[in-house]
Amino acid sequence: MLLIVSAITFFMINLAPGGPSALMRFDVTPEQREALTRRFGLDQPVPVRYLQWLAGALHGDLGTSLTTQQPVLDRIGERLPNTLLLSGLALTLSIVVGIPMGIASALRRGKPTDYTLSTLSLLGLSIPAFWFGIMLILTFSVTLQWLPSSGVATTGADFSLKDRLQHLIMPTIVLSTAALPTVVRFTRSAMLEVLGQDYIRTATAKGLSRTVVTYGHALRNALVPVISVIGALVPRLVGGAVVTEAVFGWPGMGRLAVEAANGRDYPLVVGITVVIAAIVILTSLLVDLAYTWIDPRIRLA
Amino acid sequence: MTLPIGADPTLNPWHPNAFVESLFVNRVLFGGLAKPGKDLNPAPDLAASWKAADDGMSWTFNLRDNVTWSDGQPFTADDVDYTFNQIVLKPDAGANGRGNFSAVSDVKVVDPKTAVFNLSRPFAALPSYLAYNAGILPKHVFAGAGDPWALNSFNKGTPVSTGPFKVQNFTSGQSVVLTRNDSYYAGKPLLDQLVFKVVADANTQIAQALSGELQIMILDNKAAVDRLKGARGLSVQPRTLVQYYWLALNQTDPRFHDVRVRQAIEYAIDRNAIIQAIEKGYGTIANSAIVPALKTYYDSSLENRYPYDPAKASALLAEAGWAASGPDGLLQKDGQPFSFTMDVGQRGVLQPTNELIQQNLKKVGIGADLNAMEWNAYIQKVVVNRDYAATVNWWVYPNDPDVLPYYASSAAGKGFNIPGYQDAALDDLLAQGQKTSDPAARKPIYTQMQAYMADKLPYNFLWYPQEIDVVSDTLQGVPDLNLRDAMHYVQEWSLKKS
Repeated sequence: MLLIVSAITFFMINLAPGGPSALMRFDVTPEQREALTRRFGLDQPVPVRYLQWLAGALHGDLGTSLTTQQPVLDRIGERLPNTLLLSGLALTLSIVVGIPMGIASALRRGKPTDYTLSTLSLLGLSIPAFWFGIMLILTFSVTLQWLPSSGVATTGADFSLKDRLQHLIMPTIVLSTAALPTVVRFTRSAMLEVLGQDYIRTATAKGLSRTVVTYGHALRNALVPVISVIGALVPRLVGGAVVTEAVFGWPGMGRLAVEAANGRDYPLVVGITVVIAAIVILTSLLVDLAYTWIDPRIRLA
Repeated sequence: MTLPIGADPTLNPWHPNAFVESLFVNRVLFGGLAKPGKDLNPAPDLAASWKAADDGMSWTFNLRDNVTWSDGQPFTADDVDYTFNQIVLKPDAGANGRGNFSAVSDVKVVDPKTAVFNLSRPFAALPSYLAYNAGILPKHVFAGAGDPWALNSFNKGTPVSTGPFKVQNFTSGQSVVLTRNDSYYAGKPLLDQLVFKVVADANTQIAQALSGELQIMILDNKAAVDRLKGARGLSVQPRTLVQYYWLALNQTDPRFHDVRVRQAIEYAIDRNAIIQAIEKGYGTIANSAIVPALKTYYDSSLENRYPYDPAKASALLAEAGWAASGPDGLLQKDGQPFSFTMDVGQRGVLQPTNELIQQNLKKVGIGADLNAMEWNAYIQKVVVNRDYAATVNWWVYPNDPDVLPYYASSAAGKGFNIPGYQDAALDDLLAQGQKTSDPAARKPIYTQMQAYMADKLPYNFLWYPQEIDVVSDTLQGVPDLNLRDAMHYVQEWSLKKS
């Protein structure tokens, strides 16, 4: 799987017009361009370069970034923890808040609570992240001066948990506004579907309390589709938080990927793709495991 | 004191990946032999004085004797020798800015405090060019360290430097923190610390200036200028730039060979309207390559050479054989309509500028299709392959009227001569300007060159932009220079308690 992903990415990015940004700048003479092409090994045909890359990758060496001359793994290693922290927090928030909201919405179907939550979900889904981010900064950093507007920590200050958390608040909220409504909507519809099933009526008829029916029987079954949608959210959060990262100056994978693609940093683009692909594969494995835990009827193939 | 940069810098001025964000940091860290004076003429930096040989074929630089590297080693002519002979001039290194020193054949050490630049042809502008992103690197760090571009402990870490501040710490994607260099040759800098904060988003930069997290920044989006003018604690300062926007008409297209066609297009473009709409008035009309900031040389009598005049444009086009006809409203010649594609690089103000030019050209019967392209792909098509008909872009150049690389016939089709314009008379003027370093002797040559350029329009000159700096009221001592040049004076900046 990773082999196919790396091969496709390698050939696609090399086929894109343009070249590494050191070569594609206005103020570079043809002589400099030639020297750099040789230096970067770009005078070799693409298949040869791919095989060279693959030989290194099998030994855990993803090559050297063309834009900084640093090892690709080091560059990813600098950014991946930041991304995992931010997306992990946003995902946790979405689950912890989203599932109860979805249940509340389903149980009070057609009532004001349901309408309010549905409207808020729609608003969250349609609000542009860059606008929302700037509005938060203008409110909480510029006007109220409560929160720092960018970065992961105050520059030059010693490590402090409070400082780290303060930097996390606004990016987490912005990133969650896209993920949270998805969780709410899926929980709501899954719950509604399950609550209409015969066995729920049977359980209720047997005289079990509403709480036991809702949380013991209905929720457990409704969680299966919810978990699959959470599984689908993970790659989006890990690989695609570009806008949030840009607005809040968050040094994560999304910005790195955009910089790499714009700068035609071939080894870095392939490296990022492979790492994200590995995370996606790992996530689907975890999702499968979660299914079997929730619903013992599902057996791993 | 904190200022923003758009991306991680590379702390080596000659590194092929040292882009614009690197330049602000590198100008603080690495002294050059000269630096731009507050009048833009080259001023002493690591060299105390210099002199051209009588035949103009070499320059001798006398180095300061109280300069030390931040690790305590003395700065000597060996560092100059190593930087140029082993890095900049090495053909296979592909050093950034290499093209600026094509006249330099080598550097010789006379004694530890004297270095001689030997030339292959006279090069009067050498001190100005040495004041332009030409920081000297420490020989004792680079010698024997292998590939200079892969020395990451230096280029992406904590380099050994000569400037008023030195790197304390570099956090990728976040910041580069500089602390005061107490042994700086010109005395202790006033600030303790200088932080370059990586802020990629332009709107976030504005928000941070408003919240007091940044003390100085360049306002790229001039549409926001009115909003910032009223902001408490901030002031908006226009600065001059050595930069001009141009429209290149590819000279391999026979239609653009006719000077009347180029002049007609110059009359047809409402440049004042473009400056108002796109630059909010912060710019002036350009009719040659020499910018007003180069006060000694700029010829202001050319300012009204091409007023906006569509009638005159039509008359010139008619004279050149382009007749009005056709249901599409386009001019025709030999049955062919006058239309072409303009490739648009997606950066800065290029897209809206092209749209305004397109409308202006349509009024005189010229059809321009716009082809918007991602920047990197645009460079490959237009600059590397020269596969284009017309395109708008800009040049920024060292503080000297020597613009030979952008106009020389020898650079047509491959170097910086983007339109590929070839003209022996212009070549001759450009070469004459390089022969004498005496400003009084150079002035008449460059006055003549500007008039000639304005007549012939090797590029269709558009406008000279200004930079807008947003500066906190607490920040003092910043000279009246654009921010890049002001970085050379950062030791004079200070913060007052607000």
